[in-house]
Amino acid sequence: MVTIEERLRVEEFLFKEARLADESRYSEWEALAEDDMHYWVPAEAGQDPDDGRISILNDNRTRLATRIRQLNTGVRHAQVPPSRMCRIISNVEIETIADGEYFVRSNVVLYEYRIQADKEMEVWPARVEHKLRMRDGEMKMFSKHILLLNSEGPVRGLSFII
Amino acid sequence: MLDNSRPSEGIRFEELILDDRVHSTLYTDSEVFEAEMDSIFRNGWVFICHDSEIPKAGDFVRRNVGRDPVFAVRGRDGEISVIVNRCAHRGNIICQEERGNAKAFVCQYHGWAYDTKGGLVDVPYPAGFKGDFSCHGLERLAKVDSYQGFVFASFNPTVPSLGDHLGRATELIDRAVEMSPVGRINLSGGWVRHQLNCNWKMLPENDTDGYHVNFVHPSFAQAIRSNYDEAVLQDEESLKSEAKDWGNGHTELNFSPSYSRPLEWFGCAEDRYPSYSKALREAYGQEKGDKILLDGPPHAVIFPNLFLGEMNIVRFEPVAPGVCLHIHTPMYLEGVDDDVNQRILRQSEGALGPTAFLLADDSVIAERTQLALAGKGGWLDLSRGAEREVTDDNGVVVGHLTDETSNRGFWRHYKQVMQGPDQSSPTAAAAAA
Repeated sequence: MVTIEERLRVEEFLFKEARLADESRYSEWEALAEDDMHYWVPAEAGQDPDDGRISILNDNRTRLATRIRQLNTGVRHAQVPPSRMCRIISNVEIETIADGEYFVRSNVVLYEYRIQADKEMEVWPARVEHKLRMRDGEMKMFSKHILLLNSEGPVRGLSFII
Repeated sequence: MLDNSRPSEGIRFEELILDDRVHSTLYTDSEVFEAEMDSIFRNGWVFICHDSEIPKAGDFVRRNVGRDPVFAVRGRDGEISVIVNRCAHRGNIICQEERGNAKAFVCQYHGWAYDTKGGLVDVPYPAGFKGDFSCHGLERLAKVDSYQGFVFASFNPTVPSLGDHLGRATELIDRAVEMSPVGRINLSGGWVRHQLNCNWKMLPENDTDGYHVNFVHPSFAQAIRSNYDEAVLQDEESLKSEAKDWGNGHTELNFSPSYSRPLEWFGCAEDRYPSYSKALREAYGQEKGDKILLDGPPHAVIFPNLFLGEMNIVRFEPVAPGVCLHIHTPMYLEGVDDDVNQRILRQSEGALGPTAFLLADDSVIAERTQLALAGKGGWLDLSRGAEREVTDDNGVVVGHLTDETSNRGFWRHYKQVMQGPDQSSPTAAAAAA
């Protein structure tokens, strides 16, 4: 059981993380990730990240840095111009993993207005699992797993920060 | 039975496909699309699966051939059947799971049961069934054959042999499996299904187009050091890679000439995986082992729907004139340490699929092309490098990496297939006249 204050800190983090991603503020978003970050979108329901099955996205901190570097070039066609996005977060459940570390479940619906080719609205519903850590008075994430409802596909291009 | 009324009769492919250009209608027109489903995906050979996906009796995977739902299943005799996924009774989907193992397939609508060959074995309330079990089996694709474990099938009972279709391109498949010291690949990693809102032909075209890389992938080049720096990102005179037309619509980008170090294609130094290098040299001998380690895997399209994408295997799936799927899996190698396959997996996730460093950009560019071809459309040029390509001793047409040799090869074969056997050869046409 977490305290009200812990809950507020966690929710505050989720909303900030969502806003930075929605607004494609790549480096500011990246600054929320710890060195042991695992950023993962499995391709199948119930997938284990280490079972040799392919993922839609499976970034350790190094690969995540590369992803952000590519987005920051300004010539990543898939995000030029960046998608306009809006995430709605609910059903937030928080467990304590260790002192100052939290496992957070939430439901997220992401609306994406894709404006790079034909203009289309895409909806990405997902169950999201964060692992957060309080370090030097600031909340950071060391894991974000995005379990897309439609992970088995077909899946449209997903080049933004999800 | 095959429908003999060819839907392509009204389409004048000879006017839409010239040696140096093709018309946009070929990417947008629904009649063209219907004709392709018939002439290419039902009458010709289509890649279905790799036999490593269904190793045991009763193992199955669901697939589409064009738009026709099928499943491939290994029988108790070890043979693989490709069966239309439609109950012979009232047409329900008979194999509901994407993959799995079954002794029999039982329809969930009225309980008709079929064996792994598609034969009808049980009908509930049998007193009311006056038919003949042997006449009510599931529809099986007329031809199933495989090469190096790659299973192909065709609805057409009179299709020329798979060997005829693959022709010289068996060499490309050999090169893929010989990345393994035991000559076996394993497609057990699962598939990612990426939807692009473009015509399916843009997939084989773009996957063997060596001209776009500088322009579509500058963000990749800036963000990541990779083997592609040498292979595709040099100035025109320095580029040693080649675009190739292997005949029958099979095409390749050959990056091998640009590599100067073993495992450069794998993005690492040879000493990173010493046991892999050693195993290849022991298996194939010093000379051929060295060559495999230097040249790397093929980057080639087997017409119409298989892409040997270096250490990935890709299926192309048409959905509608403006919608297709690019479906990929890592090409795992048998007989290597886990860390080699682990690297293959991570590279596969990096290169292909909706989030990839490469394909996400290709897909947006393809979708913009599809937009630009809307309406009455116009011509797309295919002439680049026609005057400087050469035919090698094996009959393979070889062009500069940035030339449209590969795409001309694709369209030459496409035209022949779409026009049908009557018009495919001028000699035959003249004889008929």
